[in-house]
Amino acid sequence: MSKILVADDSRVMRQIVVRTLRQAGYGGHEIVEAENGREALDKALAEAPDLILSDWNMPEMNGIDCLTTLRAGGNQTPFGFVTSEGSEDMRARATAAGASFLIAKPFTAETFDEALRGLL
Amino acid sequence: MTALAPELSDVHAVVEQVWSSFLGDEEPLLPQYDASGPLPADDVWSAAVSIHGGWAGTVTIELSATLAQNLTRLMLAMDDEPLDDADVADAVGELVNMVGGNIKSLMPGPSTLTLPYVAAGRAAHASDTTEVARLDAAWVGEPVRVSVHTTS
Repeated sequence: MSKILVADDSRVMRQIVVRTLRQAGYGGHEIVEAENGREALDKALAEAPDLILSDWNMPEMNGIDCLTTLRAGGNQTPFGFVTSEGSEDMRARATAAGASFLIAKPFTAETFDEALRGLL
Repeated sequence: MTALAPELSDVHAVVEQVWSSFLGDEEPLLPQYDASGPLPADDVWSAAVSIHGGWAGTVTIELSATLAQNLTRLMLAMDDEPLDDADVADAVGELVNMVGGNIKSLMPGPSTLTLPYVAAGRAAHASDTTEVARLDAAWVGEPVRVSVHTTS
């Protein structure tokens, strides 16, 4: 069973992401949650998830700083953003930092399936 | 000088997309073209995000407390369990975050989006801001207003 870390400062959105994972056929995986980028960084290192799904805009540490810190430390866990901001500028920044994908909110189960296929 | 503003049709499309994705299509969001004045509800929640950078503005959502509670239950897949204010604030904040983030993507960048600020009550706008777009709608008979303000 793979482990997925879901990072978002909104409990509502974490629940929606977990529900959408289930609808997309990824319901059998263990879910670990984080409320901000700092907690996501700590759990990424402590829990060794197989995939990280992270919001971009969060208190304490944002998602892009979390990703950059992970990559700078040699951690190559697949990392995808689930964020309300899907501009070309942000997609380019995400890719440059080492993200596998960026899913813009609102999303569907199909969007998740397309993004996650082959990563788990 | 006219402030650069998102097209009302784009604001409408963004709100519709967010609404149907997270709240379903069974109850459509119905535009209320004759709305004017304060939101027609006694008990109101509001939330806003600001955008700074290539374009600057504030996106605000005001909605009746009944609507706020109903959408929170839907987003959290809750039935009749008691709701606390933190859940409602979280759901309403996430709603404005999604609408604001998508409007940000329509406007010149690069820019940054603030975290949402949420209040149990009507939204207040600074005196140096101008409303450049407003969508009034109703969902299951309860009012919701999305407005965009820029600094004049």
